[in-house]
Amino acid sequence: MTEKHDLKKPLEQFAFYMDLLGHDILNNNQAVLGYLELILAEPGFEKKVRKYAERAIPHIRTSTLLVENIKKVLATRDIDPSSLKPIDLMGPVSRAPKNLERFFPDRTIKVNVVSKAEEAWVMGNSAVSDLVDNALIDTVKLDPDRSVGITIKLTEHECGGRMCWSLRIENPNAALPPIVRDTEIESVHLEDSSTAVRIVGMLFAKMIASSVGGDFKAEDLRSNGEKRGVAFTITLRKADGK
Amino acid sequence: MTSVLIVDDELFIVELYRDILQLRGYRVTGTAFDGEEALKKYTASTDKPDVIIMDHRMPVMNGVDATKEIMKLNPSQKVIFVSADVLVEKEARDAGAMEFLPKPFRMDDLIEKMERIVSVR
Repeated sequence: MTEKHDLKKPLEQFAFYMDLLGHDILNNNQAVLGYLELILAEPGFEKKVRKYAERAIPHIRTSTLLVENIKKVLATRDIDPSSLKPIDLMGPVSRAPKNLERFFPDRTIKVNVVSKAEEAWVMGNSAVSDLVDNALIDTVKLDPDRSVGITIKLTEHECGGRMCWSLRIENPNAALPPIVRDTEIESVHLEDSSTAVRIVGMLFAKMIASSVGGDFKAEDLRSNGEKRGVAFTITLRKADGK
Repeated sequence: MTSVLIVDDELFIVELYRDILQLRGYRVTGTAFDGEEALKKYTASTDKPDVIIMDHRMPVMNGVDATKEIMKLNPSQKVIFVSADVLVEKEARDAGAMEFLPKPFRMDDLIEKMERIVSVR
């Protein structure tokens, strides 16, 4: 009934305490979410107060996602390449509009998918869906407007002597934090942890992509003197026989 | 009126569920703060709940073990598992839970699942 942990190893210690703290954070998020729902169910509140309560709800989801992401980052250290299985990228892509609406209920988000294929099978694990979800969420976070337009492009191509699928997410109205333009994403946290906090979703995406033998890139979409535009590209190995 | 037993080791969570369920017209027959207390209360009770809302990570006896024991006593008991441990879903369902909700969830989702399993005879 009781799990035993080897607390002599620092990473094991961190994972153990993260598990305990994460559990408590999620319980507290449950209480906040539940009581906000109770407030919203009361008919007497003025419109402005209701709006404030509604705006707090997506932040509970973000907090939950952060906890889940830390757990997943810890899990990536144990990924055995032989445990990877075919995953269809169309799964998280087709869920994207509903998922984004859940995270950003106060925004209008249009998702346009450009793909010649109906399926895009890559080698990965369940974290691949989280990778796509996080990249999409970040492209919205980096957009200052309430109305957001995202294009997802799926292309099959050769990479390093084998076939790959690339999933490119473009938002012409988002803007990368300046430090990401000048530095490799994974190096940012070594230079400035306060900036790393702002791009934690990208750090997470990079780590998950690498853990399944793929890659994640964040680029400026700016051209002809345009001041905005972000493109995230996730590249993963195509699943054999698919 | 649908009756509910709430099992969770966090008092503030028990109070939240109780407040919301009572407001929505449910009858809370009891509360327990660990699996063993839930099992004792369930065994002693003559007023068996229609639904048990069961947490997993609790002292003395966890939710999966408590669900297994309760299902031995009454295989048709309806249990909704609610936990921050998403990885425990399969174990919970294997133990007999009809539904699983990862924390945090909307209370509307809990109510919807309760209504659905109560309507299954």
